[in-house]
Amino acid sequence: MKTKTKNYARWVFVLPALIVVTVLLIYPIFSSVFYSMTTKHLIKPSYEFVGLANYIDVLSDANFYRAFFHSIVWTVASLIGQIFVGFTAALAINRVKHAKGIYKTLLIIPWAFPSIVIALSWKWILNGVSGFIPNLLVQLGICDQLPQFLSEGNIVFLTLIMINIWFGAPMIMVNVLSALQTIPQDQYEAAQIDGASHLQQFIHITVPHIKVVVGLLVVLRTIWVFNNFDIIYLITGGGPADLTTTVPIYAYQMGWGTKLLGKSSAVTVLLLLFLLLICIFYFWIIAKWEKEDK
Amino acid sequence: MGKRKGIIGNGLCHIYLIILSVIAFFPLLWVLLSSVKSSGELTSNPTKFLPEKFTLENFIHVINDLKFVDNIGNSLLIAFSVTIIAIIISSMAAYGIVRFFPRIGNVMSKALVTMYLFPPILLAIPYSFIMARLGLTNTRIGLVIVYLSFSVPYAVWMLVGFFKTVPIGIEEAAKVDGANKVQVFIKVVLPLVVSGIVATAIYTFINAWNEFLYALILINSTDLMTVSVKLRSLQGAEILNWGDMMAASTLVVVPSVIFFTIIQNKISGGLSEGAVK
Repeated sequence: MKTKTKNYARWVFVLPALIVVTVLLIYPIFSSVFYSMTTKHLIKPSYEFVGLANYIDVLSDANFYRAFFHSIVWTVASLIGQIFVGFTAALAINRVKHAKGIYKTLLIIPWAFPSIVIALSWKWILNGVSGFIPNLLVQLGICDQLPQFLSEGNIVFLTLIMINIWFGAPMIMVNVLSALQTIPQDQYEAAQIDGASHLQQFIHITVPHIKVVVGLLVVLRTIWVFNNFDIIYLITGGGPADLTTTVPIYAYQMGWGTKLLGKSSAVTVLLLLFLLLICIFYFWIIAKWEKEDK
Repeated sequence: MGKRKGIIGNGLCHIYLIILSVIAFFPLLWVLLSSVKSSGELTSNPTKFLPEKFTLENFIHVINDLKFVDNIGNSLLIAFSVTIIAIIISSMAAYGIVRFFPRIGNVMSKALVTMYLFPPILLAIPYSFIMARLGLTNTRIGLVIVYLSFSVPYAVWMLVGFFKTVPIGIEEAAKVDGANKVQVFIKVVLPLVVSGIVATAIYTFINAWNEFLYALILINSTDLMTVSVKLRSLQGAEILNWGDMMAASTLVVVPSVIFFTIIQNKISGGLSEGAVK
């Protein structure tokens, strides 16, 4: 009798979360896989089973590969920028003796921005007629005419990546900073007595201590940036001329633009498979690091 | 020698951080300044910082004519509901995983991260069907349910890290005193992880407040829209009124920034503790 209540009680704790996961994550995934093999339409109620036809269609669409390429560039460039800025900012804050708190407070601000305000504020600052930055560049004599950051094909993607770095670096900074603060100070003191240079201390003490945290952060950021829909959709909508269409935007346009939800599901399932592969690779590396630590 | 090098390094760090701070802070400053300028001034003098004539006409227009307050109410209601429900479900689950399923705990938290990688755009399609079938399309309840999909896994993941820090000895002592599992959980364990729960709750709240895609797909009547979708609809208007948009943006972003600033130290500890252990 006693063991029975014991077993029952422990399941009560995890049951609600299991229900949420089953109903809101596992079931929808299977339903998406199912719809990806049908002609499901946003409005028409009837649909047919078509096997892998949607996947064949998508995989033979040049626009899909373009979107995929854009997604890769978007993710890799944004991540490198976010990690570089976030990491160097954390090291700098860790190093300075005064005003640490003020810097942290100011640098964390972009993280608080909802994506719609990220979009509106930057669209206004970069506005091609009355924007602050384009007009400033002209007044300073750097540009002859107002630069069109958000509609000129050559620079629009770079602009979006810069905005994404501005938004994402604070999260990296905060996490690296708190990881840095867990490193025992006596290790640095011991290294200094042994005559180790700053660079040597960084490589042999700092990096090994924080690499697992940073590794996990990179996993989460990769997923988040790759899946990100809001920033690009709200700033350029994938334009001009599909130059900034990433996979999530391509899928959205197919599902809610042309209303072909079956095909759109096929795109999103492919997206998930790709992310799964990346995650397996990352976790393999992190597991290796964790083993090395032990 | 070493000392002088230290001072130069320190100075360079300050310069670098000042430059970054200006970049980080400028958009917020510009939104605030633009929100109190008249529309004439916004276009006639794009690089002038301070308003010639301070005006609240944009705010009055946004609040009175566009009923933005209703949308703020929707977003608050939704984000609060999601936070409360998600924190209850997640702290129970995190404790359950740490205490009763320690062996599969690691597998479970990895599985939860895997769920974090489900593309929102993938889930959006089945959600629109499920909500239509349940008759919850275009309702705030529907949106709360959908938001649990990303808040619960992430909150469990963060909280597992905090619950692991609770020494099991304390619980054993409470059990000897005759407390049952639920009493131990509520009276002994929860108070010890309060700071972790607060950090997780705030993070959950901010994510719900900021969410855009699901709200775009599931809500279509103006009076039920969250702030994000309402702001986006202002952007779709025929004549772009930047003054209005900056005033509305101010109303959305300022509370969020203040909130973040207050809890910044808790967040910094919280996220990586939750992520690492």
